[in-house]
Amino acid sequence: MNESKGSGDAASNGPSITDEELMAAFARGEKEAFEELFSRYQQPLYGFFRRRVPDRAHAEELTQETFLALVKAAPRYEARASLRTYLYAIAYQILKGYRRKSAFRQAFFGSSDRVKEATARDRMEAEIQLRDAIGKLERVEREILLLREYEELRYTEIAEVLGIPVNSVRSRLFRSRQALRELLAGRESRVRGTELRGIEEQA
Amino acid sequence: MNTKEHAVTQEEAMALGDGELSGAWKEFVSEHVEGCGECQLLSAGFRDISTELGSWKVEATPTKIEQAVLQRLREGRNGKRAGGSAWFARIPTWGKLLAAGAAAVLLVVIIGQQSYRRIEMFTRLEHGPRSLAVPSASGLAEMAEQTRAFDSYAGALKARNRASISSSLANNQPESASTPDAPMIARTVSLSMVVKDFAEARRAVDTILAKHHGYAAELNVSTSEGAAKTLQGSLRVPAGELAATLSELKALGRVENESQSGEEVTQQHADLMARLKNSRETEQRMQAILQQRTGKISDVLEVEQEIARVRGEIEQMETEQKSLEHRVEFATVNLNLADVYQAELTMPSPSVGTRLRNGVVAGLHHAGETLLGIALFFAEYGPALAIWLMTLGAPAVILWRRFKRAMAAA
Repeated sequence: MNESKGSGDAASNGPSITDEELMAAFARGEKEAFEELFSRYQQPLYGFFRRRVPDRAHAEELTQETFLALVKAAPRYEARASLRTYLYAIAYQILKGYRRKSAFRQAFFGSSDRVKEATARDRMEAEIQLRDAIGKLERVEREILLLREYEELRYTEIAEVLGIPVNSVRSRLFRSRQALRELLAGRESRVRGTELRGIEEQA
Repeated sequence: MNTKEHAVTQEEAMALGDGELSGAWKEFVSEHVEGCGECQLLSAGFRDISTELGSWKVEATPTKIEQAVLQRLREGRNGKRAGGSAWFARIPTWGKLLAAGAAAVLLVVIIGQQSYRRIEMFTRLEHGPRSLAVPSASGLAEMAEQTRAFDSYAGALKARNRASISSSLANNQPESASTPDAPMIARTVSLSMVVKDFAEARRAVDTILAKHHGYAAELNVSTSEGAAKTLQGSLRVPAGELAATLSELKALGRVENESQSGEEVTQQHADLMARLKNSRETEQRMQAILQQRTGKISDVLEVEQEIARVRGEIEQMETEQKSLEHRVEFATVNLNLADVYQAELTMPSPSVGTRLRNGVVAGLHHAGETLLGIALFFAEYGPALAIWLMTLGAPAVILWRRFKRAMAAA
């Protein structure tokens, strides 16, 4: 879907060098390899955080932090899993840390990183409702859905990133889709009801 | 819908749409979905959701991220924020919790042990010290054999010392008696020691006694087979030489037990001297009466008998005086020497079963002490901890609930 896949090893322009090879080259000290990796994954990673963090500035910061973590982890990297999975696993850990800190600040100091949707006015009504519906899903199920739909990870990759069995990924993805469908169906019925009331009032 | 009605589950139909199936199973599920309206409806519904989710667009990545990351890359890989705080960040949460728990338990055990020791010390002070067992010497049978050579040597020493004492006590004016202000103390020292080389220690005892003009009042040496060699002796050394003698004796081995006592006999000596003086005066007066010879022969005989009785008393008191002054002049050292090294060699080595049993007993003892230490910790600090828990517990619970709510909402 959209920006989801980093160029990976099957990007549109068909790069001959895989992510893992680039990472190995970077581990050897080739900075150009990292620049290539960065160009492949900057948008997917930013999208990953942007859809999960309400504040844009924080999404930028977390994206930056993920890449820096990748830089630091390069000497230890072993190509046991795909780099994409590895990178999203790092991103997910950083996201968890951010959520924990954010919840801590909110609990102890009353401040919240949740910002008013400054850009809400600029967004389509449908998109806002979609976000609300996604927000109502159970946390892990929401995460599975987002990783599948936006990051386009395979079931096995999602299982690796979240550290849960593949069967759980499949069953919970099914539940989350069902739940989202019901939520969106409820929204449509409300919209139709509003439209009908408008027509009746006009009549 | 279930697998009884459908050959495949809904999740499998969904997985087919996600491209997660392969091989023969993929074909099977695919065939089923193509011929099943309900499964097609489900797949179409999920596709619609995917399409709708696609409407959530994210703006392009800000260029400042690229600038910041590449700048950091140029500066060096070890960016401060990259990867969190080094090794600590790599420890999983359960590991941190485990370490914290272990540290807390260790703290409780250490404090508990200290409490236990302190209370045990108080108990000891209250009920007095436990009796200290004297190793080796206590269990030995009295199979003494006094060596002839040692006996003759000790006898010679005794005779020489008695001669020197007699000269100093001439005219019934001992040094100690001439200085009534100085207290007369009969000192007794008990010394139990373990030596490595028994023969060498045995010779050294003789040398020390000779050097300090002392003697052995009694000496028993046991060299029974299958038991440690022991020496039990009552040594007498001049009081002025006692400290030096003890110092040299202690250097022979490891001191297991030592006790010292002093009996003050000043008053006892003064009484004895007064009675002796009176008796001598009585004797002199009766001698004077006898020289006058003015009475009847029966009276003379009576006076002579009385003089003999008084003389007997004087001699008895003089013996007592000498003994008392000798006790003051010569301190007593009750010495017990044991050859612990040989005793250990001759002991049969314990069997594996015995050692295991001893290990289990020791382990249980330590476990019991640890449990007792923990119990003592809670007995000692429990009330204070309860107060702190009550004081801090409620706010902590409130904050924890808020934290969990915030986490769920994040």
